[in-house]
Amino acid sequence: MGKGRSNRWLQPRRVGVIAMNTFTQLVRMKVFYFLMIFAVIALVAQFLDLPQYSGPEAVYTGELQLLKGWCMGIMKLFALVFAIAATALLLPKDVEDRTLYTILAKPVPRLDYLVGKLLGVLLLIFVSLFLMNLMMTLVLGYRTSILLDQQVEMAMARDWSAQAIESMKADIRAQGVTWSVQGGVFAIFLQASIIGAVSLLLSTFSTSTLFTIIVSFMTYLAGSFQSDAADFYKATASAGTTTFGSLLMKCVALIFPNYQLFNITDAAIQGQTIALSAVGTLTGLSLFYVVLYTLLSWFVFSDKEF
Amino acid sequence: MSILAVDIRHLVKDFRIPLRGAKPFRAVDDVSLQIQAGEVYGLIGPNGSGKSTTMKALLGLVAPTSGSCSIFGQDSLKVDSRNDVGFLPENPYFYKHMTGAETLRFYGKLCDIRGKALDERVNELLDLVDLHHARHRRLGGYSKGMLQRIGLAQALVQDPRLLILDEPTAGVDPIGSRQIRDLILQLRDRGKTVFLCSHLLEQVQEVCDHVGIIFQGKMVKEGRLDDLIAVENQTEIIMQDASPELVAEIARLIGQDAAAQLVRSGKPRTTLERLFLEETKGGKA
Repeated sequence: MGKGRSNRWLQPRRVGVIAMNTFTQLVRMKVFYFLMIFAVIALVAQFLDLPQYSGPEAVYTGELQLLKGWCMGIMKLFALVFAIAATALLLPKDVEDRTLYTILAKPVPRLDYLVGKLLGVLLLIFVSLFLMNLMMTLVLGYRTSILLDQQVEMAMARDWSAQAIESMKADIRAQGVTWSVQGGVFAIFLQASIIGAVSLLLSTFSTSTLFTIIVSFMTYLAGSFQSDAADFYKATASAGTTTFGSLLMKCVALIFPNYQLFNITDAAIQGQTIALSAVGTLTGLSLFYVVLYTLLSWFVFSDKEF
Repeated sequence: MSILAVDIRHLVKDFRIPLRGAKPFRAVDDVSLQIQAGEVYGLIGPNGSGKSTTMKALLGLVAPTSGSCSIFGQDSLKVDSRNDVGFLPENPYFYKHMTGAETLRFYGKLCDIRGKALDERVNELLDLVDLHHARHRRLGGYSKGMLQRIGLAQALVQDPRLLILDEPTAGVDPIGSRQIRDLILQLRDRGKTVFLCSHLLEQVQEVCDHVGIIFQGKMVKEGRLDDLIAVENQTEIIMQDASPELVAEIARLIGQDAAAQLVRSGKPRTTLERLFLEETKGGKA
């Protein structure tokens, strides 16, 4: 039974077993149910009563933007907290409970274990975002159709030209359910994937979950402001940048991904169109960082003693 | 010559102490031991003597500072060596969110067992460890003895030739402890090699063919159990329903021999554990 087989790395079925187990484990942890409930309540609360801060001319764009802003903000917060907390908790918990011993005592390469754990967390974030996105899409679509009817009725009462009405309808639709909004939500997932991979790396050598969580948040902040810092450095350095300084900036840029690139979510909230190529570039960049951090995690974890 | 199930040669394991200039702590110091296939080997020693570190080195969970460990001829640092090993750590806590059957399925899938073969294996193991009735209960609701038994079942899931058990009865009541010992004996009869470590000497004496005594990281005594514990210059006779006259006659005969000496005669005592098991009917209602 299972004798004589070779145990090559990254066997999809084995990684899948660990990922699904991690997914189930997280789903059955009540603390994460609480997070889900919180997210749902927060989202629903926004749908019920939205303050109208804009004037009558801009109300049709403002309301939908506010709705998207709240929803995607909560999604981002949820994905960020989840990616850091869940990943930072899982590895130390397995060591503490000695569950890790029984897994690594089976013919399971350490890389498979790490990748499985990360994929399990990412799967849960993906499913959670998918459900929240589905809910947002339904409500946004419903709100858009109501708004369209109201505004068209109002425009007709004011004898707007057919061209003006069509233009207004296009403006409203641009703020409704679009592929750009879906791209924005996907960008949240991609960003969470990188943050999860950073937490995984930190948890392979950290002895404290709190340390992992705090440092993960700090790397997130560093990544969010690194391009501003680079601009500031370039602007203030006399006679251009030095070779050392420029090298240092490149190293920082390599270690800390530039999370400002993921701000296409904001563009989606504003109703701007996001090019497919931009989503493709972000996907490639995220994949690069996730693979890089996972390989670094493996490098540390492969020699770790328990 | 058959391949050794376990071959540990001159194993040394130092742990660095995170203080500048501090001398590393030597947990295992030049330990060598060999276990033949089909044997039950007990490594005994006080807490902190290096038993668990030796086992972890054998499983590749820690890397030897020097020396080597192999399992059925395969370097234990290689993942492939774990095809033939089942491990039960001391006080294991498996995923509490899983049921007994789910736990076995999870470990079975890790060993690439699927479909009908996995279903049959899970049923077989639940029967073996007498947990069929609790197969759908989450492990969070298992008693310590049940956890040890499900742990033993997961160790056996891929039908390994070698079982490594670290304090298999730690914290388990006498009934649970007896069940685990019976299982070990059952596995020995099935031809499995068992390497267990414990500081419960009576338990080791009951199940092991060979023992090693480890103290402060060093192997201080090793050999066949019978050879190690036999008192060579004494002979034991245990009789049933012997009359006092017969006992007196035997004592008289011994007195006639110039070299022999009667050391002690009287009624043998049962153990407290045996008495407990008899009174509680071995835990069966």
